[in-house]
Amino acid sequence: MPADHDKDAYPEPPRQTPVAEKQTALPNPAVILSQLFYYSVDVPVTTFRGVIDSFRDNNKPVYYHQKYRRVPDLTECQEGEYTCYYEAEMQWRRDFKVDQEIVKVVQERLRACQQREGNSYQQNCAKEMQQFSETTKNYQLRYGDLGAYASARKCLMKQKERMIAAQAQSA
Amino acid sequence: MVGMSVLRSAAAFAARLSPLKSGNNAANLLSRTVTRTDKVAVRWGHGKNMFIIKPSDFYDRRFLRLLTFYTLLTGIPMAVIITGVNVFVGEAELVETPEDYEPEHWEYYKHPITRWIARTFYDSPVKDYEKMLAAIQIEKEKADMRLNQLEARRQMRQKGDGPWFQVDTLNKELIDNSPKSTPDN
Repeated sequence: MPADHDKDAYPEPPRQTPVAEKQTALPNPAVILSQLFYYSVDVPVTTFRGVIDSFRDNNKPVYYHQKYRRVPDLTECQEGEYTCYYEAEMQWRRDFKVDQEIVKVVQERLRACQQREGNSYQQNCAKEMQQFSETTKNYQLRYGDLGAYASARKCLMKQKERMIAAQAQSA
Repeated sequence: MVGMSVLRSAAAFAARLSPLKSGNNAANLLSRTVTRTDKVAVRWGHGKNMFIIKPSDFYDRRFLRLLTFYTLLTGIPMAVIITGVNVFVGEAELVETPEDYEPEHWEYYKHPITRWIARTFYDSPVKDYEKMLAAIQIEKEKADMRLNQLEARRQMRQKGDGPWFQVDTLNKELIDNSPKSTPDN
């Protein structure tokens, strides 16, 4: 099983549960049950995981994150240079995937915020909601109705239409 | 009487062949009758033995037996191999690329079986990219050559000073001028 994600990247807000002060001598059933669960389920599972992991202690494989070089854009290609078109198209597709993942991350943040805050999410999650609406609006403007056969050319043409519309509106 | 003794000896021989079947002991060898099926010994075990009349389930059970056999034939080795790989080799961990080290193309994947497939069977994505660019370059050069050829045809047909579209003129020595050589023909 892979390691969990980096918890410092998207930190959760500090917990606000008050410290419990015991005022009786009776045993707390919640503590008893949690200790029961710990010894009956948690410890065996963790030792099993430790045993399995000990087989792999010697040779742990590693993997790296692939970084791509930037190539000239579609606007910087000469007319008829199909190799330049291909490289620009591949770069646009990679950027499209990256933008989709960005939208997913922002969505996930808003979802986590709503789950945390419970019924008071509309006030407490205002920052996440504003970020989400801005990100999705920009995504819709750039990649919105391109369809299943989206390509760099179609995206460029959409940008051209947007710029024409903006100029017509400002003129 | 002789026939009777032949029958008796034949029945004795048959009784010797299967001595445990009821009615085969010496006491009732020739005078045995058909067993009554309506008065059966009922012992308090699983209740009265019933002969349940139902359609044959042989074909259904055979199908399920064969189905389990053929799925488990490759299923069990695959399950053992995949469990072994996951337990003993394990998935890779993400680390920062160290300076001046170019990872091989299979070192960008996490699961060991994916890494093995990428290492053994697939070309690296860089090579695939270059193959695609090479194909595009070849097609571009072919298209450019075809366009140039069409342009050259057009020019040569129009101007007539090139090697194409030259029509051979007739040999003057072959022309027979005799019909028109004198004015009175």
